[in-house]
Amino acid sequence: MKQAALSVHKLNVSVRSASGTVNVVKSVSFDLAAGEVLALVGESGCGKTKTAEAIMRLIPHDIGQAQADTIELNGVNLEALPEKRMRDIRGRKISMVFQEPLTALDPVFTIGSQLSSVYRRHRGQSKRKARASSVDMLDRVGIADSRRIMKTYPHQLSGGMRQRVMVSMAMACQPRVLIADEPTTALDVTTQAQVLSQLVGLGHESGTSILLITHDLGIVAQYCDRAMVMLHGQIVEEAGVTELFSRPQHPYTRELLAACPGAAVL
Amino acid sequence: MQYALHKILHGMLLILGVTLISFMLMVWFGPDQTYTLIGKNATVEQIEEVRSQLGYDQPFLKRYTDYLVELFTLDLGASHSSGEQVGSILKRTIPVSLALMIPGFVLGNLVGIALGLVAVQHRGQWIDRLITGFSVTGMSLSFLIIIIALQVLLSTPFGVNLFPVRGWQVTGLGSYLQFVTVPTISLILVTVGYNTRFYRAVFVEESGKDHIRTARAYGASPATILWKHILKNSMIPIITRFMFSIPLVVISGSLLIESYFGIPGVGKITFDAITNGDQPVLKAVVGLTAVSFVVIQVLTDMMYKLVDPRIA
Ligand SMILES: Nc1ncnc2c1ncn2[C@@H]1O[C@H](COP(=O)(O)OP(=O)(O)OP(=O)(O)O)[C@@H](O)[C@H]1O
Ligand SMILES: [Mg+2]
Repeated sequence: MKQAALSVHKLNVSVRSASGTVNVVKSVSFDLAAGEVLALVGESGCGKTKTAEAIMRLIPHDIGQAQADTIELNGVNLEALPEKRMRDIRGRKISMVFQEPLTALDPVFTIGSQLSSVYRRHRGQSKRKARASSVDMLDRVGIADSRRIMKTYPHQLSGGMRQRVMVSMAMACQPRVLIADEPTTALDVTTQAQVLSQLVGLGHESGTSILLITHDLGIVAQYCDRAMVMLHGQIVEEAGVTELFSRPQHPYTRELLAACPGAAVL
Repeated sequence: MQYALHKILHGMLLILGVTLISFMLMVWFGPDQTYTLIGKNATVEQIEEVRSQLGYDQPFLKRYTDYLVELFTLDLGASHSSGEQVGSILKRTIPVSLALMIPGFVLGNLVGIALGLVAVQHRGQWIDRLITGFSVTGMSLSFLIIIIALQVLLSTPFGVNLFPVRGWQVTGLGSYLQFVTVPTISLILVTVGYNTRFYRAVFVEESGKDHIRTARAYGASPATILWKHILKNSMIPIITRFMFSIPLVVISGSLLIESYFGIPGVGKITFDAITNGDQPVLKAVVGLTAVSFVVIQVLTDMMYKLVDPRIA
């Protein structure tokens, strides 16, 4: 069997709340094959974002704790890496597109500054070189006047544009794995389709495996190879997309399918 | 250009409003000098005469416009108690108060910012707890205790006895440092608890923002996060706090520090003017405070534009 790009084994996440600690991700295990697009589906609050943050080791101590037997990226166990090494990996080998295009970018720095800092940080490029790379990258995600966009601030852009900028940051270093956390939930349908095709297309070109988090089964049907269904922090079903749609096993999956008639047609 | 005009016009209106309110307060609740200037057993005519000399018999609107004219021409009349021109009193005392207060004020804020940064960087660890505990202690200590303890420690034979206890005989840099050190340390210690707590809260709030998670997700180090993202995003609250505490610290702070250290600054003459009912001096101080508030407001607005692209 081909080595998985990302292999997660028994991931648990607990968060602190007023009433004590709550386990929000429970013993999650999965493999993401090279070049694959894998969906993680589930209702709001079931633990999708926390799963993603835990894989990238982004959960701050004061919020909660993540622990796993192994999280292997390309055969390297991230769980065993010191934080300093982990920083060299974030954004370079594994990157993430966030759910909220409104708040995910820093409001007081230009798009150009934020995007080129990825090239400077991970590719060691000079300021000039990084700007040139950034303009190229913005072109590739379908931004027409990329030079002007470089000089703008996030608040001057539409949600769709901001999310395209996020995608270009995420794909800048052609990572092995991209986690896209509901990248289009906040966008209108047309923009949604454009951003998703760009994302999946770029992933295909760079050989990046994608973990696509969503609650939209239409998106799963259209863009993904396999899907996992999450319920209250647990993976309750995992299958190839055609199989999942034609022979759903878990009652919750059936419920989801019933609630999404467009996708069931497939 | 249009922005500047707009701001100046806005500032003018604010000055009118603030001076009007403070003038009303002064006329209605302020000291009345009639009976101080007049002897015992005065006749009604004598009282009337003194009142008209003082201008108390004029209609309110006339007195207010006269006041505005005085303020804008800086022709503030003479002190009732000493006879010295108010303009010259201010010229003598304002520089003293500024020289006295600025070092402690600036350092107090810088120390607060520095401690706040260290605390968020080590959030939840012992060093954060130490700093937080230290600020709470600082806030609960009375300023009186701090000042007296410092005076004893630094200015008497019970301590190191290196600095003068009180006074302000400044002739050059050396004597300036001699006289300013103890008041400055006092001011820092009195304010640092409040400052640290405020700035720490600002930095904690900023460090929880979504875009901080993004920066971390792209490999930014804790130092980059702190110095670049958190600090720059905190500039608005920092500027606001710093700028708007200037009038407060300069007026009430100098009142306090100057009376404890016997320093002849604006605070001292204001205090004397209140107790003596010296209206020309009071009017000048109140008017200048109002004007400085407005100037600060306009300056602050301009600074916001410099640090935050979202403010148009
Ligand atoms: N900072 C936090 N403090 C306490 N609880 C949290 C925190 N963040 C998330 N949670 C809880 O953890 C659970 C999982 O949250 P998570 O963000 O992973 O959900 P999600 O599946 O991404 O939902 P959505 O589709 O709404 O984004 C939720 O029940 C939420 O209430
Ligand atoms: Mg989420």
